[in-house]
Amino acid sequence: MNPPFDTRSSLILRLPDKRDVEAWDQFVAIYEPLVYRLARAKGFQDADAREIVQEVMVAVSQAVERWEPDSERGRFRDWLFCIARNFMINYLTRRKYRSFGGGGSSMDELLEQQPAPDTNESAEFDLEYRREIFRLAAEQVRDQVNADTWQAFWRTSVEDESVEAVAEQLGMTPGMVYTARSRVRARLRNEVQRFQQQD
Amino acid sequence: MGNKLKHAADSELNRLLFGDDQAGHSETIAHVESCKTCRARLDALSGSAAFDTETRNMLAGFFDGRSAGDVQTKSPIEAAAVDCLSPPRHPEMLGRLGRYEIERVIGSGGMGVVFKAFDTELNRPVAIKMLAQHLSFSGAARQRFGREAKAAAAVVHEHVVAIHNVETEGDTPFLVMSYVAGESLQARVDRAGGLDTKEVLRIGIQVAAGLQAAHDQGVVHRDIKPGNILLEQGVERALVTDFGLAQTVDDASLTQTGIVTGTPHYMSPEQAIGKPTDPRSDLFSLGSVLYFMATGRPPFRADKAMGVLNRICHEPHTPVWQDHPEVPDELSDVIDRLLEKKANHRFRSARETQHTLQKSLANLQHPRRSQQIAKRFVRRHRRSLRVASTAAGICLLSVAAVFFWPTAQPAVEQPQPVNQLSAASEPKQFSIETWQQASPAESQRWANSIEQLQHGLQRVEPSSAFDSPATPGWDTQLEQLHQQINQFQSGASAH
Repeated sequence: MNPPFDTRSSLILRLPDKRDVEAWDQFVAIYEPLVYRLARAKGFQDADAREIVQEVMVAVSQAVERWEPDSERGRFRDWLFCIARNFMINYLTRRKYRSFGGGGSSMDELLEQQPAPDTNESAEFDLEYRREIFRLAAEQVRDQVNADTWQAFWRTSVEDESVEAVAEQLGMTPGMVYTARSRVRARLRNEVQRFQQQD
Repeated sequence: MGNKLKHAADSELNRLLFGDDQAGHSETIAHVESCKTCRARLDALSGSAAFDTETRNMLAGFFDGRSAGDVQTKSPIEAAAVDCLSPPRHPEMLGRLGRYEIERVIGSGGMGVVFKAFDTELNRPVAIKMLAQHLSFSGAARQRFGREAKAAAAVVHEHVVAIHNVETEGDTPFLVMSYVAGESLQARVDRAGGLDTKEVLRIGIQVAAGLQAAHDQGVVHRDIKPGNILLEQGVERALVTDFGLAQTVDDASLTQTGIVTGTPHYMSPEQAIGKPTDPRSDLFSLGSVLYFMATGRPPFRADKAMGVLNRICHEPHTPVWQDHPEVPDELSDVIDRLLEKKANHRFRSARETQHTLQKSLANLQHPRRSQQIAKRFVRRHRRSLRVASTAAGICLLSVAAVFFWPTAQPAVEQPQPVNQLSAASEPKQFSIETWQQASPAESQRWANSIEQLQHGLQRVEPSSAFDSPATPGWDTQLEQLHQQINQFQSGASAH
């Protein structure tokens, strides 16, 4: 999915630290599919879901304007993911009751509010967020390993096939399947942890 | 296995895991294949069991991890199973397996195919469960199958489907079970909806008894669900079947990967997060099955398996009585107890569950416990009772006030009360005004009436249950009236 708007270049001016720009890129990589999926899960059509993605991205990027660089580095990432989470939870809660017109002050309001703790929305959001991190991590790992290694992992770990059956079908020894699975799993775990440490 | 190398060093395992490729590690790989200890170490180095479970839950269905060409459907498994039968002696039959004439396929699952067959030596119908052919080449699956059969065969009980014979030597391992004519509990509820309470209790008692028999043999079923409970035609007997995932308690082998097994809707929280299970896990599943029988739906529902598991682990179920007031509290409470997230809050054993269900059934069949019924009535109708009792109290007071009004009037010697209130608009104000104008004798009669009212209401409901400052219960309200009368009486005597 292409970014539906071009905030990146203006953000690069706003955020002189390279790490902050990376944080933004990662935020977009995680949130775009996440918001889209949440919107579809709430019953929105494809076009409407895309619009919601755009709305959220614009709102958060506008909020970035208000961010004051601090003496402590690395805080932009925490701040960004925190307001984005609050925003999404409030947004989802609000969507239930009335349609969202978009636009200035109410968006700001939503950004400023703390989310209500322990709502269904926050649980749902956190679960979907975690799922998104797993998906991104899995995509990255899949690109790093060869096809058979990935198959060995996917079919034994995710689809619960027996090591022996997979070994036979892939023309590997069970030991190779076992090793392949562990190799993918170790990388996946590291990737998930890497994403997690950053928010 | 010929590979008797010493265990691989941690550094070697780490190279194996994080090196650029697997090449050049063939010795270690061969060793890992045959050495359980090193497999476990490799597992531990690459991630915890909990991580595996989460991976599975998070990634299942996300993208097509496998190429589209090799998707397996059920029919090839069935076809393969039929292929390994000998030709039938009778044209109506599907094939032959030793002394068994195979009639038809009853069902097929992850591990194999189930046939209806006829035992030509003992002249009786049987059900034959055959290990899927693609698994029968694998040592682990054969082992698992043999273990399953052995565990299940050790359990002999009128509410457990009996295992007659186990064949693991030939090309196609299979086990022979009693054939149960009838339908599964799942099919029954799908067809007829939720069952009535007596039926729920009756089936629950039988399943609990069957489970206890299995637990006595050290067998945890691990997959108690409506599809695994058969209802025998005519005799109305429930039988637990398919120990497909049953595992002897002391056997830790295949669960070490932490992969979630079983049907998500009836899983226990400990199963859902891949923790070791004990007999109390089956009790949770039994609770879900009872819930399903009583309401027609499992207690934890969501669109996706992950959602179901999440609910099982973290969210309370809606007690049965809330949506189904016709279900007695006793049953609803038993289900609540079985569905406790923490295993040590559940019943201690299937036997204890069975006894509790039996007591409930006895109470239901001899409904002499009017007290319990009254209690239930009050609990179910708290709100309406409160409204009704308050309204009844006010009506009685108002009627009494009107009745006493003419006689009270001439007895009044004191000056008119300053706060003239419009009498009819507000019953409470009306009655206060009335007392203020009543003689001491009248107000004494008033006090007596209120006391009687109090006694009467006490029988209907214990008011303290829903007394709150915002909406005081009837007894608080009456107490206030009492005080006001007393104040008035002392005020009147002071005049």
